[in-house]
Amino acid sequence: MTALGWVFMLVSNTFVWGLTAWCFYKVLTVPKEITEPPDTLGG
Amino acid sequence: MAMDKEQWGTRLGVILAVAGSAVGLGNFLRFPGQAAANGGGAFMIPYFCALFFLGIPIGWAEWTMGRYGGRKGLHSAPSILGVFGKGRFFRYLGVIGVLIPLAVSFYYTYIEAWCLGYCWTYLTGGIGVNAAAPIAEQTARAGQFYADFTGRGENGVIAAGSWGTFIFWVITFSVNVWLVYRGISKGIEKFVTWAMPAMAVCAIIVLIRVLTLGTPDPAQPEQNVVNGLAYMWNPNFEALKNPQTWLAAAGQIFFSLSVGFGVIINYASYMKRKDDVVLSGLTASATNELFEVGFGGMITLTAAFIFLGTSNMIGAVQGGSFGLGFTTLPVVFAHMGWFGNVIGVIWFFMLFLAAITSSISMYQPALAFFREALGWERRSAIGLMVFICVVGSFLVMYYSKGGIFWSTIDDWVGTFLIYVLAMVQIIAFSWIFGIKKGLADAHHGAQIRIPWFYGFIMKYVTPTYLLVVFAAFCWKDLAGWVRQVSDEPLRQGALALVLGTTVVLVFCTFFGERRWKAAGLDIDGKLPLPDEKGERR
Repeated sequence: MTALGWVFMLVSNTFVWGLTAWCFYKVLTVPKEITEPPDTLGG
Repeated sequence: MAMDKEQWGTRLGVILAVAGSAVGLGNFLRFPGQAAANGGGAFMIPYFCALFFLGIPIGWAEWTMGRYGGRKGLHSAPSILGVFGKGRFFRYLGVIGVLIPLAVSFYYTYIEAWCLGYCWTYLTGGIGVNAAAPIAEQTARAGQFYADFTGRGENGVIAAGSWGTFIFWVITFSVNVWLVYRGISKGIEKFVTWAMPAMAVCAIIVLIRVLTLGTPDPAQPEQNVVNGLAYMWNPNFEALKNPQTWLAAAGQIFFSLSVGFGVIINYASYMKRKDDVVLSGLTASATNELFEVGFGGMITLTAAFIFLGTSNMIGAVQGGSFGLGFTTLPVVFAHMGWFGNVIGVIWFFMLFLAAITSSISMYQPALAFFREALGWERRSAIGLMVFICVVGSFLVMYYSKGGIFWSTIDDWVGTFLIYVLAMVQIIAFSWIFGIKKGLADAHHGAQIRIPWFYGFIMKYVTPTYLLVVFAAFCWKDLAGWVRQVSDEPLRQGALALVLGTTVVLVFCTFFGERRWKAAGLDIDGKLPLPDEKGERR
């Protein structure tokens, strides 16, 4: 395999694996929505 | 009116469903063949250009339009495009968004049944390729099995006696209908949340096996893993001067990402109002790319090269996606000894999962449309959808000779109309609805922001890119396609089936339009969306 062949293969694969990993990291670590507890004690 | 109240259970569910819809046979079989034939590694330059200028922006537009339509109580392409295109013209163009998945499903479940049938055949002993025979004999044996199994030899061969393939189709179709019948959350979402990881596990097993093959035949030292990867990845920059390379790259992105297919707009309409569409759209696209470049680009041709060598690869690539998957790879598996059958089972099971996660997404838009347009309950709408699909699939299976009947539908619906629908969608979103308003809506609940320059890309670059690709395609292929149809009665029959289906969908849209107006729905997009307090904004 030529040096450029390695470059194209590694860059393409790093990009798709990296983008997918980053996207799923963002999706799975989404901060939970904070909901105010109802003020049942009235004060 | 039977209102569709379904919603996705989780955010991951809709992402995996859209990714599952996108990941199909083309990721593993079509992409490597296209890349190798169009410049190898250099193909990735036009490929990634098409991803950034066509695939991702049209995908974002579809996700946004779908969620917006869902908030107005609309779930089908005709009704949603009527809102974004502000009137009847775009509503009727939206029929294409139901026609494409429905007509493609006529042959897609048939091909899906091949994958299940091959998986079963490998589980029960393989397809009978003798690894000791000359390569040409092995390929002929694999080709004969493929022709017999799929009915490529004669019309009606399946109806006349090859019951095996028909039974696999019945199983495949029944599973599809059952999953769609169970609904968005309990059927489709539940299925994809195990099917997608299972597909990834299968792909990783096959990838590891292929990359650790080394040099299996010491007498042929040049047939090794590195040279196999080189066959796929060594760049030929001369290919970039050929417009065909750019056309092939754009076509691959289109077919692969499921954009312009009518599926994303329907799936996104079941999202909640605060669900993110920007990151979800990007994640679904990235997942598809992982399966295509990371697995498809590394497995298929590498394995074929290691066992077949350079001289047999030209024929393998020219044999197209199905020749590569159903004729060449079985020869490769035969050279792996007893383990070849295990890899064969895993490979075809993976293809089956890739196909079924796509096919269920083809039925849901039609089901949603029939419910919405005719006001029918789920059971009745499924009945109509099943009737149309059974008629379509039976014709595809009966007229099986040479695959001419189904490949005509694939050409005109699965290729030509995808460009048309993508153009309709991006014009409706960027020009009629307005790019600023569209991007502002996309950012509701978004976890990441669409880069500012994508406003310009979606308004000017994407439509221009689409027009150029479409014009080049028409200039290069359209006259030949028309000639083929005029010469071949089977092709005319296939187009008659498509036309008949279109007429049914247009009638349904006509009745639906009257019902939606009577129900007071804002089908011409004249009113803004109500905000959380119920006020119009």
